[in-house]
Amino acid sequence: MTASTHQYQVFGRLGPLLVVLALLAMWEVTARHLQLDGFPTAAEALRQLPVILSDGQALAGIGDSLRRMACAFVLALLVAVPVGLCMGRSDALARLLNPLLSVIYPIPKAALMPMVMLWFGIGDLSKVLVIFLGVSLPLLFHSYYGARNMDVKLLWCAAAMGMGAPVRLFKVVLPAALPDVLLGCRVGLSMALIVMISSEMIARQSGAGDLLFNAMDMALYPDVYAMILILAALGYGLDGLFERLRRRLTHWADVRQDSHAGASS
Amino acid sequence: MTGQSMISIQHLCKSFYTADRHTHMALDNIDLDIREGEFVSILGPSGCGKSTLLYMLGGFVPATSGTLVAQGKTITGPGPDRGPVFQEFALFPWKTVIGNVMYGLREQGVGRRDARERAMALLHKVNLADYADFYPKELSGGMRQRVAIARTLAYDPAILLMDEPFGALDAHTRTVLQNELLEIWERDRKTVVFVTHGVDEAVFLSDRVVVMTRSPGRIKTVIDIDLPRPRVRSELLVNRRYQDYVVHLEQLIEDVHLEACSA
Repeated sequence: MTASTHQYQVFGRLGPLLVVLALLAMWEVTARHLQLDGFPTAAEALRQLPVILSDGQALAGIGDSLRRMACAFVLALLVAVPVGLCMGRSDALARLLNPLLSVIYPIPKAALMPMVMLWFGIGDLSKVLVIFLGVSLPLLFHSYYGARNMDVKLLWCAAAMGMGAPVRLFKVVLPAALPDVLLGCRVGLSMALIVMISSEMIARQSGAGDLLFNAMDMALYPDVYAMILILAALGYGLDGLFERLRRRLTHWADVRQDSHAGASS
Repeated sequence: MTGQSMISIQHLCKSFYTADRHTHMALDNIDLDIREGEFVSILGPSGCGKSTLLYMLGGFVPATSGTLVAQGKTITGPGPDRGPVFQEFALFPWKTVIGNVMYGLREQGVGRRDARERAMALLHKVNLADYADFYPKELSGGMRQRVAIARTLAYDPAILLMDEPFGALDAHTRTVLQNELLEIWERDRKTVVFVTHGVDEAVFLSDRVVVMTRSPGRIKTVIDIDLPRPRVRSELLVNRRYQDYVVHLEQLIEDVHLEACSA
């Protein structure tokens, strides 16, 4: 009994790794078999990983991307969360803004990039702005949802203690909605990665997306694949970090079914 | 005990707009005076507006017309003179037990150390001192409601507004908390407005029971409960007068149901 549960646990930990290895093996076999220029083998792509990761310029590019993403994310937190919370607690504000947001939501944010570039150039500002837009909406909607569905009696209790409405927004509504806000952050994180890469594909100046497409232009296909692997690992790592942060911040909440908003990059 | 007027409700009406834009009269012309230190229960079937009445006393919900006065001041919003306790506990889930009890004190500007000391003393009173660092989700319903009561007592409101506070608890826990509530009340004699639909609970706890009708909510009658205090359940259960009160109120409530059904 204990032996089999132990085996099960070992498999539970190694299982995902085995899946990755199996995929890599399939990739290797298929690529060797097909022998296409645009489809390097897994070994060729993996060999490029240390090359890219020891190249200072490439690292600086990836650093640029992450910096822009972080700026946009913080900006979105500062703007979208308060607006979402206010909307959740004010029907009038929700009625005012909801139609507008519903129109903006389905627009792929990278589609705004040409227009934003015309106004703000191809530099950091445009990219941060577009990532900010991409992150803001899921963040705003989840904050709105969390604030709207919180127990209003928590607010009443705080009001009876003499707490004014603006303070209540941060000391009661924010923590009460925090599980939802953080869920929005997680969705926003994967959105940020997606928009980050697409914005750099459109405005090729620096960053991970720029590296990827430069390699593409120069027909360095193993580098292209290696870059995709790096981006996947980046998404996976950020998501894992964020998940740990989320658990720490909301350990007090009842266990809930979270939608699996994994990092898709 | 028969002190001056603590709460005065005059010609109070409350109506809602329903989904099909009709007005629904929830409370119709309520008049009620509650004296300082009095324990008053509001008894009625669900949907009679008794909780709405309590929310208006708390200042959480505005009245449609009429006046509400607490301690000589017209009620315009929530305030620390009126402390609510809800059926669903409404504890701050992100705060520990002690954090919840300290919350109101900190909000009133009491220093951290002082607030902690006073909160700890209250937790001793409700037998939860060992659970100070637990989070609400780790506690049973009865414990959560004890924390909620301690949290409200902490900032020392003159009036306790209790909205079916023991309605979500099992029968045994309910009787235990009723006894604890009476003990606390005997000690500091706060004015209590206690909403319930339990007849025996109302009789056991109260000085007066206000019986309400349904749609629209009106006061059907007010019954003085003339039973000795401190009250001990085992003695009351064999007390003839207690039994008469319970039977009489049960009949009134049944009448209310029948009237509502025939209306």
